[in-house]
Amino acid sequence: MDDIDAMFSDLLGEMDLLTQSLGVDSLPPEAPPTSQKETPPMNFSAGFTDLNAETLHELEDNDLDALMADLVADLSATEQKMAAEREGVKTPHSVPPLAPAALPTPQLQSDLSQPSPSSSSTTSSSSHSSSISPPPPPQSTKPSKEEIEAQIKADKIKLALEKLKEAKVKKLVVKVEMTDGSSKTLMVDERQEVRDVLDNLFEKTHCDCNVNWCLYETNPELQTERGFEDHENLVEPLSAWTRDSENKVLFQEREDKYEVFKNPQNFYLWKKDKKSLMDTKEKDKELLLEENFCGTSIIVPDLEGVLHLKEDGKKSWKPRFFLLRASGMYYVPKGKTKTSRDLVCLVQFDNVNVYYGKEYKQKYKAPTDFCFILKHPQIQKESQYIKYLCCEDAWTLTLWVTGIRIAKYGKLLYDNYKTAQKKASGSSIWTNRNISSQPTPSATPKAKAANGHAPQPPAESLPKVQGNQAQLPPPPPSLLNDSLPPPPPDPELPPPPPMPPMTGKSATMSSSGFPGNFPPPPMDDLPPPPPDDETELPPDFLPPPPPVMGGSGNFGATLPPPPPDPQYSARTSTTDSLPPPPPSPYAAGGVPPPPAPPPPPPPSAPAVRPTPSVKKSAPPPPKRTTPVQSAPSGGDFMSELMSAMQKKRSDQ
Amino acid sequence: MAVWDLSVTVEELGPDAPPLKISVTSDLHIGGAILKIVDKTQIKKDWSDHALWWEQKQQWLLKPAWTLDKCGIHADARLSFTPQHKPLRLGMPNGITLKLRACFSSSVFRTVMGICKLLNIRRPEELSLLRPVEEKKKKKDKDVEGEVYDITCAPLPSGTVLTLANGMPAYFADSPEMEAVYKLLSVSQPAPPPETIVKMYRPMNVVDKAQVNGRWLDSSRSLLQQGVKENDKLFLRFKYYSFHELSPRTDAVRLVQLYEQARWSILLEDIECTEEEMMLFAALQYHIGKVSLTEPQMVVSSPAMDDLDSALQCLEVKMEGGQNNTVDVLDTMTTAPELHDYLKLLRPKKLTLKPYKQYWFKFKETSISYYKSKEESTKEPIQEMNLRGCEVVPDVSVAGQKFCIRLLIPEAEGMNEVYLRCENEQQYSRWMAGCRLASKGKTLADSSYSSEVQNIQSFLAMQRTTPRTDTPQTDESINTHSLVSPRYQKKYKAKQLTPRILEAYQNVAQLSLSDGIQKFLQIWQALPDFGISYFVVRFKGCRKDEVLGIANNRLIRIDLSVSDVVKTWRYNTMRQWNVNWDIKQVAIEFNGNVNIAFSCVTADCKIVHEYIGGYIFMSTRNRDQGDTLNEELFHKLTGGHEAL
Repeated sequence: MDDIDAMFSDLLGEMDLLTQSLGVDSLPPEAPPTSQKETPPMNFSAGFTDLNAETLHELEDNDLDALMADLVADLSATEQKMAAEREGVKTPHSVPPLAPAALPTPQLQSDLSQPSPSSSSTTSSSSHSSSISPPPPPQSTKPSKEEIEAQIKADKIKLALEKLKEAKVKKLVVKVEMTDGSSKTLMVDERQEVRDVLDNLFEKTHCDCNVNWCLYETNPELQTERGFEDHENLVEPLSAWTRDSENKVLFQEREDKYEVFKNPQNFYLWKKDKKSLMDTKEKDKELLLEENFCGTSIIVPDLEGVLHLKEDGKKSWKPRFFLLRASGMYYVPKGKTKTSRDLVCLVQFDNVNVYYGKEYKQKYKAPTDFCFILKHPQIQKESQYIKYLCCEDAWTLTLWVTGIRIAKYGKLLYDNYKTAQKKASGSSIWTNRNISSQPTPSATPKAKAANGHAPQPPAESLPKVQGNQAQLPPPPPSLLNDSLPPPPPDPELPPPPPMPPMTGKSATMSSSGFPGNFPPPPMDDLPPPPPDDETELPPDFLPPPPPVMGGSGNFGATLPPPPPDPQYSARTSTTDSLPPPPPSPYAAGGVPPPPAPPPPPPPSAPAVRPTPSVKKSAPPPPKRTTPVQSAPSGGDFMSELMSAMQKKRSDQ
Repeated sequence: MAVWDLSVTVEELGPDAPPLKISVTSDLHIGGAILKIVDKTQIKKDWSDHALWWEQKQQWLLKPAWTLDKCGIHADARLSFTPQHKPLRLGMPNGITLKLRACFSSSVFRTVMGICKLLNIRRPEELSLLRPVEEKKKKKDKDVEGEVYDITCAPLPSGTVLTLANGMPAYFADSPEMEAVYKLLSVSQPAPPPETIVKMYRPMNVVDKAQVNGRWLDSSRSLLQQGVKENDKLFLRFKYYSFHELSPRTDAVRLVQLYEQARWSILLEDIECTEEEMMLFAALQYHIGKVSLTEPQMVVSSPAMDDLDSALQCLEVKMEGGQNNTVDVLDTMTTAPELHDYLKLLRPKKLTLKPYKQYWFKFKETSISYYKSKEESTKEPIQEMNLRGCEVVPDVSVAGQKFCIRLLIPEAEGMNEVYLRCENEQQYSRWMAGCRLASKGKTLADSSYSSEVQNIQSFLAMQRTTPRTDTPQTDESINTHSLVSPRYQKKYKAKQLTPRILEAYQNVAQLSLSDGIQKFLQIWQALPDFGISYFVVRFKGCRKDEVLGIANNRLIRIDLSVSDVVKTWRYNTMRQWNVNWDIKQVAIEFNGNVNIAFSCVTADCKIVHEYIGGYIFMSTRNRDQGDTLNEELFHKLTGGHEAL
């Protein structure tokens, strides 16, 4: 029970943190710096850049589900680690007061003291508060009390450190747009490579896992797009997005991603006529790859030719003869030959990435629409430090962009390709299992895989859970699942925990970490729930009658399917959780549920609805589908999470 | 059977002694003849290395079971009885000259194998011997030659060579002199002063570059057959640019010699590179030179020792971790190192000339923030700049006492350009090191910080000495001009060159010796013109000279009038190639009925033939094969009519 309690408190903390981190973002400008100041060792600042600038409101149900699962998986992974370390010394899993960095211990308690008057949740809430209160002196007969205390202290320090470490890991909630225009939301931590995220998406989408799938970044301001390489960390480039960015991450199939490895002749023998290249034998392709990618040094395709260059903020495009070398991109200055010593270096690739430019003919009056740019990934807006280049045709563009990628990443690209290939071939046989065999840097993504699948049939997810456990330290296997359902958030449900003003901007991307890093949320600020505005609420979304114990499966079944109308997705997800469906069945374990609460009065829905004053302070929310609901209050987030939790439970 | 006299010269009897006459019959086999010769000399010594050499026919009589008749030897034959191994002066890729005993009777391929075994160089098939330039007008290496290191006392390696723990063959440990020679071979030598480099021969164009390839010895014939005499000088060079499994652990000498060959090919403009590449090569040379002095054992440490070392280190870390892990972590978390100082700041703006302004600066984690004054430093900074991913460019002149750091900090809107001006070298090197680490996302707490500071200081020290190059040149100081080819020596003054090399240097300064060497080789191999051996040829049906380039995977045809590649043929499309030895023409057939034929102008067509066959042989090597060498296949592919 200890563990479970601890998990609750953790989960609460985590959620709290999340809400706060979201909140901090949209606070008046002075706020964020101060809050960051207080936590010197953490470096959260970058994580706050909110990406797609959409509220959780707009997230769909299943997104939330996934998100929740991610959160829980994260927590349970840490939890298990802890448990393994504790070895018998039963210290309540409270936030150790010794933790450095101004950990606001009261925070959790205040959270908990907040719990609703809702009678159904009393049991759980009390168990909570007890777990949070300072550790009771251990009940042991050992002689030296001091020793034990020291031991406990040490344990707590350890625990705190562990959490700090965990907290230091930057996490982002990323919304990924699918080919069909829908989107999925995932939590990505900074240790994860694009490959891990792709694998995660493979699982969620059940696509064919072929090597062409990739994550694409688009920047509408610059009209650029770029496929992330599989070995890149996703969090880093996303952190460079500006606050009001309309950038997106897309999950797409792109032929050009690994084309060079499928048809190396088209890149390395590009000078030859097309026809002879068409019937290049497999053996010759292999030879080309061997020669260029498997030697002691990577050989870049010997690209050369006239490209148009728009440079240094000038408007005109000048034709120049360019050459690609492993060391950079060069051009032949006027009146010189293309001997190496005369070449002028346009750019070296250490600090720049290559991006496709879209519709530059119109935007920049480029000679053609086949453009690419070279810029530091941090640069998000037009700048004289961007090099704009324009090619004759689409194929030349592919040649250059691929060539530059080879020059920049070298053998890594080939390794990525081989991994992707393995993945693709493996997926046909082992639809899900390969997760466990696949090398993932941290346990988190795996845990996520285990838990992130609310919608999946249990049969499918079972093997994954096992694979997951094999890698995680000892804790009882059942814990992972068993501990999920219990009540933690329940106490808070009725009055949705006050969220500091959460604007549309901040939701989709946020960093989360150890709870102690943020000041307690300003509980008192929450304006009274505005009156109902959810008149359109479809009847199915009314809370189901409280399920009887064991009927949780039914409960899940009654949950509304993903909202049919994306426009109202935000609302629907909110409504799910609106009338706190009696949480007790879970909380109390075997205790029969209390009498079904009256169907929630519609007015409760608006509880979540926005406080207009907050709305003002937020920067203009970019790109949203439901413009009306621009400033939801934090309560939404919480209740949404709750609904996700409930679903989760009901699935189990 | 008739008895006749066979005359044999024996060197051991003295130079003026008349040839020995021994009575033989035509059915006497060679072994018997040798016995008779030895008897007749009445000298007691080990004759086992001696063999008969037939002067007029330029051939060795190495088959003891063959009869004189079968060898075609009659009374008019003049034979000499001579050792098969003779001393040879061998110019190494790094410029030193060794005197060693090499086999004069076996094919050059074998001879090279023997030499490489002696010198502990793996993969001897990649190397071969080059004749020196005959005339004195091109006196390449003449100046550098200097001392000759005699290692003729080393035993001829047979079977497996005993090596010491550090990979050095045991016989090099016999005397301090020998050990010194091994060190010369396995540790990179500092570059000679720029004046020497300028005097050395440099090919000016592709035709010049083709000349050297005419001097390769024939791999299928012996040294003596090719007119090489005792104590002649030859050069040992990597001939085929296809280096199989370079490994720092076992290839100490091979890597260093390859590096030296690469370095000289760049310094002497044998292979062209861009200015940016030259600066990086220079930085790497500087780095390798510096690290060679401090950690010469890195390269030659044995795998077993390495493993043990790393295991021990690992253990140490574990134990530390077990004991005071928490304290450590806490420590590093609470006491992050910082830098504080008054520095001057400039933000260059177009059309305005603002002076540097002084602020109180604080460097923490990866960020620099600045305040109006020290007293204000508790308040909000005027600005905080996170240096992650930024470009750090030194702008330094020791002579002018100018120590600026130019920072290009990427931001969403573009680059934020900032200059920081430091007072002196010490301050500069501390802040510069911090900036460099921060740009790579490391903090001041990183373990490489202090070495980074030292690197910068030593580099500055180098600049301090360079202005005096015109006056007396000290040997210890490295001259930046020695690191670049004469073209750039002319183009830039030392003080212009130093910052540029320093800029490139910051990316390589943390490499270990072997990583540095490998990096150098990688960049070298990535050059577009890498690995091409040129020959002036005349294609069948053409009237003008053209250049044929032979690389490890392709042949290229270069038109001299435009000096550009006009055609490329890859070996994998090659069906067969033939040499017509009578008219000295090489004919090659490619897939799709493409036939080419050419005669060679600057080299014997055997050399061209051997190059093509050699590269095809190199491509047949694979990883599983280990160190065994299919000599027969090599000769089959490169031998020509004599081999068959």
